[in-house]
Amino acid sequence: MLIEQCAYANRWRRVSPAAKALFALCGLVASFAAGTPLVALAVVCLLTAVTWIGAGVPVGRYLRVAAPAFFFLATSCLSLAFSLGSDAQSGALSLHLTPTGLQNVADVSARSLGALASLLFLVLTTPLIDLIALLRRLKTPEVLLEIMVLCYRMLFVFSEAMHDTVRAQSARLGYATPRLSLRSLGGLAANLTVQVWQRAHDLHIAAQARNSDGPLRFLEPTFANAGLDSALAAASGGLLIALAVVLS
Amino acid sequence: MHIMEGFLPIEHAVGWAVASMPFVAYGIGSIKKQIDANPEQRMLLGVAAAFTFVLSALKLPSVTGSCSHPTGTGLGALLFGPAAMAPIGLVVLLFQALLLAHGGLTTLGANLFSMAIVGPFAAAALFRLARRLTLSFAVSVFIAASVADLLTYVTTSAQLAWAFPDPTGGFVTSFAKFAGIFAITQIPLAISEGLLTVVIFNALARFNPQELKDMNVVRPPELRA
Repeated sequence: MLIEQCAYANRWRRVSPAAKALFALCGLVASFAAGTPLVALAVVCLLTAVTWIGAGVPVGRYLRVAAPAFFFLATSCLSLAFSLGSDAQSGALSLHLTPTGLQNVADVSARSLGALASLLFLVLTTPLIDLIALLRRLKTPEVLLEIMVLCYRMLFVFSEAMHDTVRAQSARLGYATPRLSLRSLGGLAANLTVQVWQRAHDLHIAAQARNSDGPLRFLEPTFANAGLDSALAAASGGLLIALAVVLS
Repeated sequence: MHIMEGFLPIEHAVGWAVASMPFVAYGIGSIKKQIDANPEQRMLLGVAAAFTFVLSALKLPSVTGSCSHPTGTGLGALLFGPAAMAPIGLVVLLFQALLLAHGGLTTLGANLFSMAIVGPFAAAALFRLARRLTLSFAVSVFIAASVADLLTYVTTSAQLAWAFPDPTGGFVTSFAKFAGIFAITQIPLAISEGLLTVVIFNALARFNPQELKDMNVVRPPELRA
Protein backbone atom coordinates (compact mmCIF):
# COMPACT_ATOMS: atom_id res chain seq x y z
CA MET A 1 0.00 0.00 0.00
CA LEU A 2 1.46 3.29 -1.18
CA ILE A 3 0.20 5.35 1.75
CA GLU A 4 1.74 2.94 4.25
CA GLN A 5 5.15 3.20 2.59
CA CYS A 6 5.12 7.00 2.80
CA ALA A 7 3.74 7.02 6.34
CA TYR A 8 6.66 4.95 7.64
CA ALA A 9 9.41 6.48 5.49
CA ASN A 10 8.83 10.23 5.56
CA ARG A 11 10.91 12.88 7.29
CA TRP A 12 8.27 13.62 9.93
CA ARG A 13 7.76 10.05 11.08
CA ARG A 14 9.01 10.92 14.60
CA VAL A 15 6.98 14.10 14.99
CA SER A 16 4.17 13.70 17.53
CA PRO A 17 0.97 12.41 15.83
CA ALA A 18 -1.10 14.85 17.90
CA ALA A 19 0.76 17.75 16.29
CA LYS A 20 0.30 16.38 12.77
CA ALA A 21 -3.40 15.69 13.39
CA LEU A 22 -3.83 19.23 14.77
CA PHE A 23 -2.23 20.73 11.66
CA ALA A 24 -4.40 18.55 9.39
CA LEU A 25 -7.50 19.64 11.33
CA CYS A 26 -6.49 23.29 10.85
CA GLY A 27 -6.09 22.55 7.13
CA LEU A 28 -9.64 21.14 7.03
CA VAL A 29 -11.04 24.16 8.86
CA ALA A 30 -9.13 26.51 6.54
CA SER A 31 -10.50 24.81 3.40
CA PHE A 32 -14.05 25.07 4.72
CA ALA A 33 -13.49 28.64 5.92
CA ALA A 34 -12.04 29.88 2.62
CA GLY A 35 -14.64 32.16 1.01
CA THR A 36 -13.51 32.03 -2.63
CA PRO A 37 -12.14 29.16 -4.76
CA LEU A 38 -8.84 31.01 -5.25
CA VAL A 39 -8.20 31.22 -1.52
CA ALA A 40 -9.09 27.53 -1.14
CA LEU A 41 -6.62 26.71 -3.92
CA ALA A 42 -3.97 28.72 -2.08
CA VAL A 43 -4.65 26.55 0.99
CA VAL A 44 -4.27 23.45 -1.24
CA CYS A 45 -0.91 24.71 -2.52
CA LEU A 46 0.38 25.45 0.99
CA LEU A 47 -0.71 22.04 2.31
CA THR A 48 0.81 20.10 -0.60
CA ALA A 49 4.01 22.16 -0.35
CA VAL A 50 4.28 21.28 3.34
CA THR A 51 3.76 17.59 2.50
CA TRP A 52 6.23 17.57 -0.41
CA ILE A 53 8.95 19.82 0.95
CA GLY A 54 8.51 19.55 4.70
CA ALA A 55 7.74 15.85 5.10
CA GLY A 56 9.63 14.87 1.92
CA VAL A 57 6.86 12.79 0.34
CA PRO A 58 7.75 12.05 -3.33
CA VAL A 59 5.57 14.03 -5.76
CA GLY A 60 4.82 11.10 -8.08
CA ARG A 61 3.66 8.89 -5.25
CA TYR A 62 1.53 11.70 -3.84
CA LEU A 63 -0.27 12.14 -7.15
CA ARG A 64 -0.80 8.40 -7.57
CA VAL A 65 -2.45 8.23 -4.14
CA ALA A 66 -4.70 11.18 -5.00
CA ALA A 67 -5.68 9.95 -8.49
CA PRO A 68 -8.82 7.90 -7.58
CA ALA A 69 -10.20 10.83 -5.58
CA PHE A 70 -9.70 13.12 -8.59
CA PHE A 71 -11.74 10.72 -10.70
CA PHE A 72 -14.68 10.84 -8.29
CA LEU A 73 -14.43 14.62 -8.09
CA ALA A 74 -14.54 14.86 -11.90
CA THR A 75 -17.66 12.68 -12.29
CA SER A 76 -19.51 14.48 -9.50
CA CYS A 77 -18.59 17.92 -10.83
CA LEU A 78 -19.93 16.91 -14.23
CA SER A 79 -23.40 16.54 -12.76
CA LEU A 80 -23.08 19.79 -10.81
CA ALA A 81 -22.08 21.81 -13.87
CA PHE A 82 -24.94 20.71 -16.10
CA SER A 83 -28.54 21.43 -15.34
CA LEU A 84 -31.32 19.20 -16.58
CA GLY A 85 -34.25 21.22 -17.89
CA SER A 86 -37.17 20.70 -20.20
CA ASP A 87 -37.46 22.85 -23.32
CA ALA A 88 -40.30 25.37 -23.13
CA GLN A 89 -41.60 24.76 -26.66
CA SER A 90 -41.01 21.09 -27.42
CA GLY A 91 -41.00 19.82 -23.83
CA ALA A 92 -37.94 17.69 -24.56
CA LEU A 93 -35.33 17.22 -21.87
CA SER A 94 -32.13 19.14 -22.44
CA LEU A 95 -28.79 19.53 -20.71
CA HIS A 96 -27.32 23.00 -20.38
CA LEU A 97 -24.46 24.69 -18.61
CA THR A 98 -25.48 27.28 -16.04
CA PRO A 99 -23.32 30.08 -14.62
CA THR A 100 -24.44 29.25 -11.07
CA GLY A 101 -23.57 25.62 -11.78
CA LEU A 102 -20.03 26.51 -12.81
CA GLN A 103 -19.62 28.76 -9.76
CA ASN A 104 -20.82 25.85 -7.63
CA VAL A 105 -18.31 23.49 -9.26
CA ALA A 106 -15.44 25.88 -8.59
CA ASP A 107 -16.44 26.32 -4.94
CA VAL A 108 -16.98 22.64 -4.24
CA SER A 109 -13.94 21.30 -6.05
CA ALA A 110 -11.59 23.86 -4.47
CA ARG A 111 -12.95 23.08 -1.01
CA SER A 112 -12.79 19.35 -1.71
CA LEU A 113 -9.18 19.56 -2.90
CA GLY A 114 -8.26 21.49 0.25
CA ALA A 115 -9.83 18.85 2.47
CA LEU A 116 -8.16 16.09 0.43
CA ALA A 117 -4.77 17.80 0.81
CA SER A 118 -5.28 17.94 4.60
CA LEU A 119 -6.24 14.27 4.72
CA LEU A 120 -3.26 13.30 2.56
CA PHE A 121 -0.92 15.35 4.74
CA LEU A 122 -2.07 13.40 7.79
CA VAL A 123 -2.08 9.89 6.33
CA LEU A 124 1.16 10.25 4.35
CA THR A 125 3.11 11.38 7.43
CA THR A 126 1.51 9.30 10.19
CA PRO A 127 1.34 5.49 10.35
CA LEU A 128 -2.06 4.07 11.26
CA ILE A 129 -0.75 2.59 14.50
CA ASP A 130 0.15 6.12 15.74
CA LEU A 131 -3.31 7.36 14.76
CA ILE A 132 -4.95 4.54 16.70
CA ALA A 133 -2.83 5.46 19.75
CA LEU A 134 -4.01 9.05 19.29
CA LEU A 135 -7.65 7.92 19.14
CA ARG A 136 -7.07 5.96 22.36
CA ARG A 137 -5.89 9.15 24.08
CA LEU A 138 -9.01 10.90 22.74
CA LYS A 139 -11.16 8.35 24.65
CA THR A 140 -12.60 6.44 21.70
CA PRO A 141 -14.74 3.47 22.88
CA GLU A 142 -12.52 0.51 23.72
CA VAL A 143 -14.54 -1.88 21.51
CA LEU A 144 -13.89 0.23 18.41
CA LEU A 145 -10.17 0.46 19.17
CA GLU A 146 -9.94 -3.31 19.55
CA ILE A 147 -11.69 -3.83 16.21
CA MET A 148 -9.24 -1.34 14.64
CA VAL A 149 -6.10 -2.98 16.05
CA LEU A 150 -7.22 -6.49 15.09
CA CYS A 151 -8.40 -5.29 11.70
CA TYR A 152 -5.07 -3.62 10.99
CA ARG A 153 -3.18 -6.76 11.98
CA MET A 154 -5.41 -9.17 10.04
CA LEU A 155 -5.55 -6.96 6.96
CA PHE A 156 -2.13 -8.05 5.83
CA VAL A 157 -2.80 -11.69 6.68
CA PHE A 158 -5.95 -11.65 4.57
CA SER A 159 -4.48 -9.72 1.68
CA GLU A 160 -1.62 -12.23 1.52
CA ALA A 161 -4.07 -15.12 1.54
CA MET A 162 -6.09 -13.36 -1.15
CA HIS A 163 -3.10 -12.74 -3.40
CA ASP A 164 -1.93 -16.33 -3.06
CA THR A 165 -5.38 -17.65 -3.95
CA VAL A 166 -5.78 -15.28 -6.90
CA ARG A 167 -2.36 -16.31 -8.24
CA ALA A 168 -3.21 -20.01 -7.91
CA GLN A 169 -6.60 -19.48 -9.55
CA SER A 170 -5.25 -17.45 -12.47
CA ALA A 171 -2.48 -20.01 -13.01
CA ARG A 172 -5.34 -22.47 -13.61
CA LEU A 173 -7.09 -20.00 -16.00
CA GLY A 174 -9.66 -19.14 -13.35
CA TYR A 175 -10.05 -15.59 -14.67
CA ALA A 176 -10.05 -16.41 -18.40
CA THR A 177 -13.70 -15.44 -19.01
CA PRO A 178 -16.14 -13.22 -17.08
CA ARG A 179 -18.19 -16.28 -16.14
CA LEU A 180 -15.13 -18.09 -14.80
CA SER A 181 -13.99 -14.96 -12.94
CA LEU A 182 -17.30 -14.73 -11.12
CA ARG A 183 -17.01 -18.38 -10.14
CA SER A 184 -13.39 -17.97 -9.03
CA LEU A 185 -14.19 -14.82 -7.07
CA GLY A 186 -17.05 -16.66 -5.36
CA GLY A 187 -14.76 -19.52 -4.41
CA LEU A 188 -12.11 -17.09 -3.18
CA ALA A 189 -14.54 -15.09 -1.05
CA ALA A 190 -16.16 -18.24 0.34
CA ASN A 191 -12.75 -19.60 1.28
CA LEU A 192 -11.83 -16.33 3.00
CA THR A 193 -15.19 -16.26 4.80
CA VAL A 194 -14.44 -19.60 6.43
CA GLN A 195 -10.98 -18.34 7.37
CA VAL A 196 -12.67 -15.48 9.30
CA TRP A 197 -13.99 -17.97 11.87
CA GLN A 198 -10.91 -20.17 11.89
CA ARG A 199 -8.48 -17.29 12.37
CA ALA A 200 -10.66 -15.62 15.01
CA HIS A 201 -10.80 -18.92 16.88
CA ASP A 202 -7.01 -19.31 16.65
CA LEU A 203 -6.47 -15.77 17.97
CA HIS A 204 -8.84 -16.47 20.85
CA ILE A 205 -6.97 -19.68 21.78
CA ALA A 206 -3.63 -17.84 21.52
CA ALA A 207 -4.88 -15.04 23.78
CA GLN A 208 -6.23 -17.51 26.33
CA ALA A 209 -2.95 -19.43 26.33
CA ARG A 210 -1.31 -16.14 27.40
CA ASN A 211 -3.71 -15.64 30.32
CA SER A 212 -5.95 -13.14 28.55
CA ASP A 213 -8.60 -11.71 30.87
CA GLY A 214 -10.50 -9.86 28.18
CA PRO A 215 -9.36 -6.45 26.94
CA LEU A 216 -6.26 -6.13 24.78
CA ARG A 217 -3.59 -3.82 26.22
CA PHE A 218 -0.95 -1.87 24.34
CA LEU A 219 2.23 0.06 25.00
CA GLU A 220 1.92 3.71 24.03
CA PRO A 221 4.59 4.90 21.62
CA THR A 222 6.46 7.91 23.04
CA PHE A 223 7.50 10.98 21.08
CA ALA A 224 10.25 13.37 22.16
CA ASN A 225 9.42 17.09 21.82
CA ALA A 226 5.68 16.39 21.66
CA GLY A 227 4.92 19.73 23.37
CA LEU A 228 7.09 21.77 21.02
CA ASP A 229 5.68 19.94 17.96
CA SER A 230 2.12 20.66 19.04
CA ALA A 231 2.88 24.33 19.71
CA LEU A 232 4.46 24.69 16.26
CA ALA A 233 1.54 22.88 14.61
CA ALA A 234 -1.00 25.05 16.44
CA ALA A 235 0.84 28.22 15.43
CA SER A 236 1.21 27.29 11.75
CA GLY A 237 -2.31 25.86 11.58
CA GLY A 238 -3.71 29.02 13.16
CA LEU A 239 -1.80 31.07 10.62
CA LEU A 240 -3.30 28.98 7.80
CA ILE A 241 -6.85 29.54 9.06
CA ALA A 242 -6.20 33.24 9.59
CA LEU A 243 -4.84 33.50 6.05
CA ALA A 244 -7.91 31.77 4.62
CA VAL A 245 -10.28 34.03 6.55
CA VAL A 246 -8.45 37.32 5.92
CA LEU A 247 -7.88 36.76 2.18
CA SER A 248 -11.48 35.88 1.36
CA MET B 1 -19.55 4.57 -3.96
CA HIS B 2 -17.83 6.86 -1.49
CA ILE B 3 -18.38 10.61 -1.28
CA MET B 4 -14.93 12.17 -1.32
CA GLU B 5 -13.31 14.27 1.38
CA GLY B 6 -14.64 17.82 1.67
CA PHE B 7 -17.33 17.37 -0.99
CA LEU B 8 -20.32 17.91 1.28
CA PRO B 9 -21.03 21.31 2.86
CA ILE B 10 -20.22 21.46 6.56
CA GLU B 11 -23.87 21.33 7.76
CA HIS B 12 -24.50 18.14 5.76
CA ALA B 13 -21.25 16.51 6.89
CA VAL B 14 -22.08 17.16 10.54
CA GLY B 15 -25.74 16.26 10.06
CA TRP B 16 -25.01 12.83 8.59
CA ALA B 17 -22.43 12.14 11.30
CA VAL B 18 -25.05 12.93 13.95
CA ALA B 19 -27.61 10.75 12.14
CA SER B 20 -25.21 7.79 12.08
CA MET B 21 -24.19 8.13 15.72
CA PRO B 22 -27.18 6.32 17.35
CA PHE B 23 -26.71 3.32 15.04
CA VAL B 24 -23.02 3.07 15.90
CA ALA B 25 -23.78 3.46 19.62
CA TYR B 26 -26.46 0.77 19.39
CA GLY B 27 -24.05 -1.48 17.47
CA ILE B 28 -21.31 -1.00 20.06
CA GLY B 29 -23.79 -1.79 22.82
CA SER B 30 -24.93 -4.99 21.12
CA ILE B 31 -21.31 -6.00 20.44
CA LYS B 32 -20.41 -5.48 24.12
CA LYS B 33 -23.30 -7.72 25.13
CA GLN B 34 -22.17 -10.38 22.65
CA ILE B 35 -18.59 -10.23 23.94
CA ASP B 36 -19.74 -10.65 27.55
CA ALA B 37 -21.77 -13.70 26.60
CA ASN B 38 -19.18 -15.17 24.28
CA PRO B 39 -15.57 -13.86 24.60
CA GLU B 40 -14.59 -15.36 21.26
CA GLN B 41 -16.65 -12.64 19.53
CA ARG B 42 -13.97 -10.08 20.49
CA MET B 43 -11.55 -11.52 17.96
CA LEU B 44 -14.26 -12.37 15.44
CA LEU B 45 -15.31 -8.74 14.88
CA GLY B 46 -11.78 -7.49 14.22
CA VAL B 47 -11.16 -10.35 11.82
CA ALA B 48 -14.50 -9.69 10.13
CA ALA B 49 -13.59 -6.02 9.64
CA ALA B 50 -10.29 -7.01 8.00
CA PHE B 51 -12.18 -9.45 5.77
CA THR B 52 -14.62 -6.72 4.69
CA PHE B 53 -11.73 -4.37 3.95
CA VAL B 54 -9.89 -6.95 1.85
CA LEU B 55 -13.11 -7.92 0.05
CA SER B 56 -13.59 -4.31 -1.04
CA ALA B 57 -10.22 -4.48 -2.81
CA LEU B 58 -11.46 -7.26 -5.12
CA LYS B 59 -12.23 -6.30 -8.71
CA LEU B 60 -15.62 -7.42 -9.98
CA PRO B 61 -16.14 -8.09 -13.69
CA SER B 62 -18.97 -5.84 -14.83
CA VAL B 63 -21.03 -5.77 -18.01
CA THR B 64 -20.24 -2.22 -19.13
CA GLY B 65 -16.53 -2.89 -18.98
CA SER B 66 -16.03 -0.73 -15.94
CA CYS B 67 -14.36 -2.64 -13.15
CA SER B 68 -15.56 -1.94 -9.69
CA HIS B 69 -15.43 -3.48 -6.25
CA PRO B 70 -18.18 -5.20 -4.25
CA THR B 71 -19.49 -3.33 -1.22
CA GLY B 72 -19.91 -6.51 0.81
CA THR B 73 -22.72 -4.88 2.79
CA GLY B 74 -25.20 -7.62 1.89
CA LEU B 75 -22.80 -10.45 2.67
CA GLY B 76 -21.75 -8.86 5.97
CA ALA B 77 -25.33 -8.20 7.05
CA LEU B 78 -26.34 -11.82 6.37
CA LEU B 79 -23.29 -13.24 8.16
CA PHE B 80 -22.89 -10.91 11.16
CA GLY B 81 -26.30 -9.24 11.49
CA PRO B 82 -27.14 -5.63 10.53
CA ALA B 83 -26.52 -4.10 14.00
CA ALA B 84 -22.89 -5.23 14.12
CA MET B 85 -22.27 -3.81 10.65
CA ALA B 86 -22.40 -0.15 11.81
CA PRO B 87 -19.26 -0.30 14.02
CA ILE B 88 -17.51 -2.69 11.59
CA GLY B 89 -18.42 -0.37 8.73
CA LEU B 90 -17.12 2.62 10.68
CA VAL B 91 -13.73 0.96 11.11
CA VAL B 92 -13.60 -0.20 7.48
CA LEU B 93 -14.56 3.23 6.10
CA LEU B 94 -12.07 4.94 8.42
CA PHE B 95 -9.33 2.57 7.22
CA GLN B 96 -10.29 3.17 3.60
CA ALA B 97 -9.91 6.91 4.19
CA LEU B 98 -6.64 6.56 6.09
CA LEU B 99 -4.96 3.79 4.08
CA LEU B 100 -6.33 4.33 0.57
CA ALA B 101 -7.49 8.00 0.61
CA HIS B 102 -10.87 6.60 -0.51
CA GLY B 103 -13.76 8.52 1.06
CA GLY B 104 -12.80 10.95 3.78
CA LEU B 105 -12.98 12.07 7.38
CA THR B 106 -15.55 14.85 6.93
CA THR B 107 -17.78 12.61 4.80
CA LEU B 108 -17.38 9.61 7.09
CA GLY B 109 -20.87 10.12 8.56
CA ALA B 110 -22.60 10.31 5.18
CA ASN B 111 -20.74 7.30 3.77
CA LEU B 112 -21.38 5.34 6.96
CA PHE B 113 -25.09 6.04 6.70
CA SER B 114 -25.38 4.80 3.12
CA MET B 115 -22.97 1.85 3.26
CA ALA B 116 -23.08 0.52 6.81
CA ILE B 117 -26.62 1.42 7.92
CA VAL B 118 -29.05 1.59 4.95
CA GLY B 119 -27.40 -1.28 3.00
CA PRO B 120 -27.13 -3.87 5.78
CA PHE B 121 -30.57 -3.19 7.30
CA ALA B 122 -32.17 -3.38 3.85
CA ALA B 123 -30.32 -6.63 3.10
CA ALA B 124 -31.36 -8.26 6.36
CA ALA B 125 -34.99 -7.15 6.02
CA LEU B 126 -35.25 -8.24 2.38
CA PHE B 127 -33.66 -11.60 3.12
CA ARG B 128 -36.16 -12.23 5.91
CA LEU B 129 -39.06 -11.10 3.72
CA ALA B 130 -37.95 -13.24 0.78
CA ARG B 131 -37.63 -16.30 3.01
CA ARG B 132 -41.09 -15.66 4.43
CA LEU B 133 -42.45 -15.56 0.87
CA THR B 134 -40.86 -19.03 0.51
CA LEU B 135 -38.51 -17.95 -2.26
CA SER B 136 -35.52 -20.26 -2.68
CA PHE B 137 -32.38 -19.60 -0.66
CA ALA B 138 -30.33 -18.53 -3.70
CA VAL B 139 -33.00 -16.09 -4.93
CA SER B 140 -33.34 -14.56 -1.44
CA VAL B 141 -29.59 -14.05 -1.17
CA PHE B 142 -29.47 -12.51 -4.66
CA ILE B 143 -32.32 -10.09 -3.91
CA ALA B 144 -30.85 -9.12 -0.53
CA ALA B 145 -27.33 -8.49 -1.83
CA SER B 146 -28.17 -6.72 -5.09
CA VAL B 147 -30.95 -4.52 -3.67
CA ALA B 148 -28.74 -3.59 -0.69
CA ASP B 149 -26.05 -2.52 -3.15
CA LEU B 150 -28.58 -0.52 -5.20
CA LEU B 151 -30.08 1.15 -2.13
CA THR B 152 -26.60 2.15 -0.98
CA TYR B 153 -26.05 3.99 -4.21
CA VAL B 154 -29.55 5.50 -4.24
CA THR B 155 -28.84 6.82 -0.73
CA THR B 156 -25.54 8.31 -1.88
CA SER B 157 -27.29 10.00 -4.83
CA ALA B 158 -29.96 11.36 -2.49
CA GLN B 159 -27.30 12.69 -0.11
CA LEU B 160 -25.53 14.46 -2.98
CA ALA B 161 -28.81 15.77 -4.42
CA TRP B 162 -29.86 17.13 -1.05
CA ALA B 163 -26.53 18.91 -0.64
CA PHE B 164 -26.50 20.25 -4.22
CA PRO B 165 -30.08 20.81 -5.46
CA ASP B 166 -30.39 21.75 -9.12
CA PRO B 167 -30.72 25.54 -9.66
CA THR B 168 -33.80 25.05 -11.86
CA GLY B 169 -35.30 21.67 -10.92
CA GLY B 170 -34.33 21.37 -7.25
CA PHE B 171 -33.82 18.11 -5.40
CA VAL B 172 -35.64 15.82 -7.86
CA THR B 173 -33.70 16.92 -10.96
CA SER B 174 -30.44 16.84 -9.10
CA PHE B 175 -31.20 13.35 -7.80
CA ALA B 176 -31.99 12.20 -11.34
CA LYS B 177 -28.65 13.57 -12.55
CA PHE B 178 -26.53 11.94 -9.85
CA ALA B 179 -28.45 8.66 -9.99
CA GLY B 180 -28.22 8.66 -13.80
CA ILE B 181 -24.45 9.09 -13.81
CA PHE B 182 -23.85 6.44 -11.16
CA ALA B 183 -26.38 4.03 -12.72
CA ILE B 184 -23.99 3.31 -15.60
CA THR B 185 -21.59 1.60 -13.23
CA GLN B 186 -23.82 0.73 -10.30
CA ILE B 187 -26.66 -1.28 -11.87
CA PRO B 188 -24.40 -3.88 -13.54
CA LEU B 189 -22.34 -3.84 -10.36
CA ALA B 190 -25.38 -4.57 -8.18
CA ILE B 191 -26.23 -7.55 -10.39
CA SER B 192 -22.63 -8.83 -10.26
CA GLU B 193 -22.58 -8.39 -6.52
CA GLY B 194 -25.85 -10.30 -6.14
CA LEU B 195 -24.52 -13.16 -8.27
CA LEU B 196 -21.20 -13.16 -6.42
CA THR B 197 -22.93 -13.36 -3.04
CA VAL B 198 -25.01 -16.31 -4.24
CA VAL B 199 -21.85 -18.07 -5.51
CA ILE B 200 -20.19 -17.44 -2.12
CA PHE B 201 -23.11 -18.93 -0.21
CA ASN B 202 -23.27 -21.90 -2.59
CA ALA B 203 -19.57 -22.59 -2.07
CA LEU B 204 -20.00 -22.24 1.70
CA ALA B 205 -22.99 -24.58 1.71
CA ARG B 206 -21.07 -27.14 -0.31
CA PHE B 207 -17.77 -27.13 1.54
CA ASN B 208 -18.52 -25.71 4.98
CA PRO B 209 -22.09 -26.54 5.96
CA GLN B 210 -21.20 -26.64 9.66
CA GLU B 211 -19.90 -23.06 9.73
CA LEU B 212 -22.94 -21.80 7.86
CA LYS B 213 -25.21 -23.56 10.34
CA ASP B 214 -23.31 -22.01 13.27
CA MET B 215 -23.91 -18.57 11.75
CA ASN B 216 -27.70 -19.22 11.79
CA VAL B 217 -28.03 -18.20 8.15
CA VAL B 218 -29.72 -21.36 6.92
CA ARG B 219 -31.64 -24.16 8.50
CA PRO B 220 -30.05 -27.62 8.15
CA PRO B 221 -32.33 -29.23 5.51
CA GLU B 222 -31.48 -26.56 2.93
CA LEU B 223 -27.83 -27.49 2.94
CA ARG B 224 -28.40 -30.72 1.08
CA ALA B 225 -29.14 -28.87 -2.15
